[in-house]
Amino acid sequence: MTTDWNRKLGSAALCAVIAGALFAGAPGVAQSQEIVLGAIVPSSGPFAEWGRANTATLQMVEKQVNAAGGINGAKLRIVILDDAAKPAQATNNLRKLAGDDKVLAVAGPLTSSAAEVTFPVANEMKVVSTSQASSKPGVAKNNRPWAFRNTIDEGVLGRTTVPYFKKAFNVKTVAIIYDAKDATAATVGSKIMPALMKENDIKVLNENDPLSFNTGDLDVSAQITKLKSLNPDGVVVSADYSQGVTVIREMKRQGLIKPVVGSTQLISSAILKAAPEIAIVAPATFYATMKGEKAEKFVKELQPILRSTSGLPKDIEPSMYDANIYEIVSMYIDAVKKAGITGKPETLEADRVKIRDSMTKLVGFPGLGGPIGFNDDGDAIKAFYIVQGQNGTWESKVRGCSTAPGHAGC
Amino acid sequence: MLLQQLVNGLTLGAVYTLIALSFSLVMGILGVLNLAIAELFMLGAYFGFTAIIAQLPLPVALAAAMLGSALVAVVIQKVAYEPLRNAPIVTPMLSTLGFSIILQNVATNVWGSDPLQLTDEVLPGRLTLGPVSISTMQLLVMGSTVTLVAILAFVVQKTPAGRALRAVAENRDVARLLGVSAARVTLLAFVLSGVMAGAAGVLIGMHYAVITPYMGVDIGLKAIAVMVIGGTTRIWGALVAGPLIGIAEVMTVAYGGSQVRDFVVYGLMILILLLRPQGILGGSRSEQGQRV
Amino acid sequence: MSTYYAGLLADVGILTLGGLSVYIILATGQLSLGNAGFMGIGAYITSYLTVTLGLAITPALFIAAAASGLIGIIVGFPALRLRGIYLAMATLGFGEMVRSFFLNLSAMGGSSGFHGMKHISVGYIWLWATGVLLVVMLLERSRVWLEMQAVHDDETAAGLVGLNATAIKVGAFGAGAAVAAISGGLFAHHHVYIEPGNFGFERSIDFVLAVILGGSTVGPGALVGSLVLVMLPEYLRFLADWRLAAFGVLLIAVLLVRRQGILDRSLFRRLSLRGAA
Repeated sequence: MTTDWNRKLGSAALCAVIAGALFAGAPGVAQSQEIVLGAIVPSSGPFAEWGRANTATLQMVEKQVNAAGGINGAKLRIVILDDAAKPAQATNNLRKLAGDDKVLAVAGPLTSSAAEVTFPVANEMKVVSTSQASSKPGVAKNNRPWAFRNTIDEGVLGRTTVPYFKKAFNVKTVAIIYDAKDATAATVGSKIMPALMKENDIKVLNENDPLSFNTGDLDVSAQITKLKSLNPDGVVVSADYSQGVTVIREMKRQGLIKPVVGSTQLISSAILKAAPEIAIVAPATFYATMKGEKAEKFVKELQPILRSTSGLPKDIEPSMYDANIYEIVSMYIDAVKKAGITGKPETLEADRVKIRDSMTKLVGFPGLGGPIGFNDDGDAIKAFYIVQGQNGTWESKVRGCSTAPGHAGC
Repeated sequence: MLLQQLVNGLTLGAVYTLIALSFSLVMGILGVLNLAIAELFMLGAYFGFTAIIAQLPLPVALAAAMLGSALVAVVIQKVAYEPLRNAPIVTPMLSTLGFSIILQNVATNVWGSDPLQLTDEVLPGRLTLGPVSISTMQLLVMGSTVTLVAILAFVVQKTPAGRALRAVAENRDVARLLGVSAARVTLLAFVLSGVMAGAAGVLIGMHYAVITPYMGVDIGLKAIAVMVIGGTTRIWGALVAGPLIGIAEVMTVAYGGSQVRDFVVYGLMILILLLRPQGILGGSRSEQGQRV
Repeated sequence: MSTYYAGLLADVGILTLGGLSVYIILATGQLSLGNAGFMGIGAYITSYLTVTLGLAITPALFIAAAASGLIGIIVGFPALRLRGIYLAMATLGFGEMVRSFFLNLSAMGGSSGFHGMKHISVGYIWLWATGVLLVVMLLERSRVWLEMQAVHDDETAAGLVGLNATAIKVGAFGAGAAVAAISGGLFAHHHVYIEPGNFGFERSIDFVLAVILGGSTVGPGALVGSLVLVMLPEYLRFLADWRLAAFGVLLIAVLLVRRQGILDRSLFRRLSLRGAA
């Protein structure tokens, strides 16, 4: 009797699960009094901290805008979804935001791997998707016209970074080490950097013997021992900051105190703590100690919020990706205002086109570090800074701009 | 440079040995792959870091981490293993995977996903012998590995508890007939395995001085390979296999093959599995592994 | 049905095929933790055929399945020497080797990944998923399946009654590898981008999880398991930062309550009877 009941209960529950899976969550009707935007951030998984800080940033924007009376008389609502840094989840997030939540535009996803698979969906669903961090070359370019990135291609940034690095440390030879499992880092380490070194007459000592490791490696001692034996003037570390910390600590441990150059992936406060005596040169579009009215106001407002958010460290500072996603949402809001979008469901498709066109034609949008626009590839034209990290802080050395022919500069 | 690379390889090998032993205790005795061991190792590192940052001396940090990881191991044994003891081996393997997901999430929420670093090296000294430079921490890692393996071997070979472990490993039913409590032995295997993983976490965490909630994932897979190569039934096997893989990895990198390193390691594992399924030091057991 | 659910269902279809690839091999008592390797082989071969050689997707999938099946058979022979968890670990090593191989295959993009595939519809994915599932269910009623079960239960005895255990085990590996390759080909053309990281250990474990969670004694178990694995994390979104931990807890809970999986033979029979009535 009991087992029979259990079985019945079990099968009933199973039917419910399947039915629920198929039919539950029927598309909700967007309210006409709301401007709805979407965001995809990695709030769980290995980049949880970036995602959680992004979430807090977006919630701050939402609160500020609504406190100031909303947009065109409508309230702003930002639907934030977690993709756990998994590409497949990011694509489903976009489908949900565009299809069910009827958002006007989407900020995110963060990683290049996620952007690679999410941008095609953005084109399929005809909704703007702008990544806050992807910098792997060509990702937005492959997915025109709906994909954008509020970041600068690493190839463009390197053109300013490498000459500064050469001059500042009198570098004639370098050795390159990169994360082979990370698509962005591998492209920068195996293609972009070797080419840039050649352009600047810097000899790559391990040109025919690429040195790499894999994301997740704790031990890079063998690679560093080899680097050290080459005795380069400087070291190219192409990896994300988390892996970069491992490499730089091993350099310090083995006494290889040589200046390091890398891509935007290195920018973080964590890497400054790895070995304060090793100078790190990298490009950034924003860093927490940046000067300027807009940037300073942003940090002043956001920092206390981040530090009081549970799950984030007590000494956290706003990151470049917080700044980028803040700018993305601000651009969307600006477009909504200028185009007079009121969030009516019947004009959703036309409104999405309006936002796309406004992004494509964007010129001189007031970003945190100066004016922002987009080039034909969908990547940002904005100011960037070559920053040097030493003794625990980033210091700006050169200001550059990712100009593109036929577009206004910064 | 070759000698220096040898030192690098031996250190890495010691690291692998420590984690592999942890896997092999549960695997060799119960025939179950406890996937959460990678996370016990990660937790050990966080426990150790917390103690060191709180200015506690190294031995206290070590003890705290060993105890902490052992406690979590007990929970895993009670919840994820014991109720599924008679299920096909793949089922408890997946329930320990459930634990590994939980522990990663908890660690991310408690300590954050950013790498946690120690500002100073715990033992800053270095020893220079001609062309070779070796840090005090490296010596400690290698020394502790050999000591822990020796202690473990002593426990398993010479003590009554160890004899019970081996009896259950040989034949669970016969062991029960001989009056060995299978439940207690299982618990002991998990506790010992947790202690090893905790110790590995502290030593490795302090050596590299940077830890993240996901640090156990990749090194865990390599440690499984080391366990297989060493043979799951011999404690000393891991002490040979760890350095073997460590040196193989380091030499692949040193001779220009850093990109094919993982290919080489797993290839070596498969080769050894095929040629000597009982591991390089394993005895001549013909019946290997239960049915799935 | 919204495109969101369509996207999730596409994932379910792809995972179901992956689960079935493990199920077929498991039916002969062999546990494979490396089927993501076969999936990767399928994904890369199919993409090469459609993008570089301009083949249509359906023949490309058949060719990829055949090629991967052949590799599966080649892997299956040495696998005969190993049992239980040792075999599982050898397949794990195989999966990692395949991933490492594609990471270094610069002709197919290496770590930068590979582009250019044309997007396929959810319907097409499900055509394959249901097709393969039906074939597996038909197989389950055939004599071959009884022989596979016999090898699973006692290989020596199966050999004594004149069954060719070698052919059965190697054949199962080949068939499983072919199904995994189809799953990979569909994955590549659903996401229109692939990189080696897509086919790691985590994916292999997902396949095994789908089978064990859904029910390892009946073919449709893989479907039920895939449905749960894809949908559950979506329904746990309200837990925010604790979403993955809750997923882990529920995973353990299901395994404890139903160690034979959600769907077993008796439940399946009841459900199908009800459907018929």
